[in-house]
Parts: sequence; structure tokens; C-alpha cells
Amino acid sequence: MMNSETLGKYDKRSSDCEYLMLVFSPISVPLRARWRNNGLSADFLGDYVITFLPAPSRESGVEAQHKLISHAVTYIANELLENAMKYHERNADIPIGIHLELTSNHITVSVSNGVGVGQATRYKAFAEHLLEGDARALLLQQQEDSAKSDDAAASGLGLLTMISDYDAQLGWRFDAHPVQSELMTVTTKAVVSLQQLEAGAAA
Amino acid sequence: MKNIKGEAFEIRREDDCSTVLFKGALRLSGTEDYAPILEMLKETLVPATEPVVLDLRELEFLNSSGITMFSRFVIEARGCVGLNLHVLASQAVPWHVRSLRNLQRLMPSLTVSLS
Repeated sequence: MMNSETLGKYDKRSSDCEYLMLVFSPISVPLRARWRNNGLSADFLGDYVITFLPAPSRESGVEAQHKLISHAVTYIANELLENAMKYHERNADIPIGIHLELTSNHITVSVSNGVGVGQATRYKAFAEHLLEGDARALLLQQQEDSAKSDDAAASGLGLLTMISDYDAQLGWRFDAHPVQSELMTVTTKAVVSLQQLEAGAAA
Repeated sequence: MKNIKGEAFEIRREDDCSTVLFKGALRLSGTEDYAPILEMLKETLVPATEPVVLDLRELEFLNSSGITMFSRFVIEARGCVGLNLHVLASQAVPWHVRSLRNLQRLMPSLTVSLS
């Protein structure tokens, strides 16, 4: 693999935007013991994103719109963190990080973690599959398949619901580890449009 | 009455009743953790004389593994001849508006009331 590769919608971070970043040290605590961290962090990001937005005026509907945006950020952050925690390479000295940013009309949530090269290759193939297919049809197929197999964790349903239900645009970046050639850092990025989230209220 | 409780959620089913009530936020880690809940749901499918009702109005959050659990239940339910499945949902809970239609795509006869 090359040193760095991107797939899908992977724009550079804007220089003039507000952002928040959380980084989790790579520790060997069992997954189950730190599972609740995903929910705590996702809820925090969902609450925090509201501080980026204009304060609610007396106009009715603003709070309802904020609730929609807050929920979307919580859902997306939670799914990305769950994936990162599940697939993170335990022995890698790579932190898990989550980054939230707001530009004038988009919110971006991105999560990074360390994986082995084999896992990175599988994930890349899945990302390409998602980019080529129709998310709604793939989602329906995954739901049908889930009844037949127990391998729900690998189903990618989280990413599919982000695209299908939250109109997220996804992008990926794979970076080779500077020293250990068997490791990579993978970053999954989800971009949602504020306008589209707000329109979701009317649907 | 049967119930399953976690740190942030509660699920209840009264005896002799095919309504299952969900409250709180469900973000368990996968198929294995959701298995007891799926089993409890499947118990409603035995004597299919009255409609099975999932009351989700107070289920504020559901992760994608939870969506998978409901998908599996719905697929099971649509195989039961003559079974009516009804979902009570809330307009004020964002995921209801966004994601419940995925269950309807699996089972077109499933009805959802958004209040």
C-alpha cells in the first residue's frame, strides 16, 4: 500500500472552523469494560455540537432542529466509535481519536484507529463496495442477511444507516504507520449537511 | 411480568400481553448482548391471536446493533401467518422518524403510529 490513500468524500479539514477533539489512549482494558465510553462520548459530542450553532431564538422550531442535529451527531459518533473500538488493533501504539467540526453548513465527524494491514485491506474493499452501491438497497440486503448469520458486527449496518437514514457522505483515509509496516491508521469521516438534517424534521 | 434492565434502558412485557415496552437508550455491543431481548420479543409470536405491539415511544436511542435485533425479529414475525405487528413511535424521537421505515421495508404489513 502507498503511504496514504483516501476513498470517497475526504476533504481536508478547513482552517477556519470550530472543532472539538477527543483522544483515547491505547489501553488494553477489555472492550466490554470500556464499551460505555462510546455512549458517554457520543452523547457529549451530540450535546456539544449545539454550542457551535446559533443560540435558540424565540422562534419556534429552533429547539426541535437542534434536537435533530444533536441526535444525528450522537448516532454517527456512537457508530464510528463502536466500530473503532471493535476493530482497533490492541497491540498498536496508536490512539483512538474522534474529531467533530462545523463549517458554515456542514458537520463532520471523523474517527481514527489503528488496524493491521489485513484488516485495512478488508475495510477498504467494504468502503469501495459502499461507494459503488445504492445504500438503501444494501441496507435492506444486510437486514435480510442478518437473520441468517450471527456476524452482525461485520455487517457494516452502522455505516449504511448513516448514508441511508442521515444522508451522510462517507470518506476514508488509510495511513501507513511510520515505523511498523504491519500497521495502519484508518480514519472514517462522515459529513452531514445541516440543511438536510433540518429538512429531515419535515419528512 | 418479565423485564430486562440495563444501566440506561428497561424493557417490559406484562404476562398474557403481547405488548413489549421499551424505555431509555439501547447501545449494547452486538448480537450476543441483544440475544435475551430478541428471545423475549420472540415469545410474543407464540399464540398469534392479538396484534403484537412494540411500544418504542420512550426508546430515545438505538444503535445499529439494536436495529439489527429488531430486523431479525421483524423477519421472524413476517413468517407467522396472520400475525399483525404494530409499532408505537414518537414524532419527537429523531431515530423513529429516520429509521423505522427500514423495518417497514422488511415487512410492508407492519404498521407504525407516530404520535
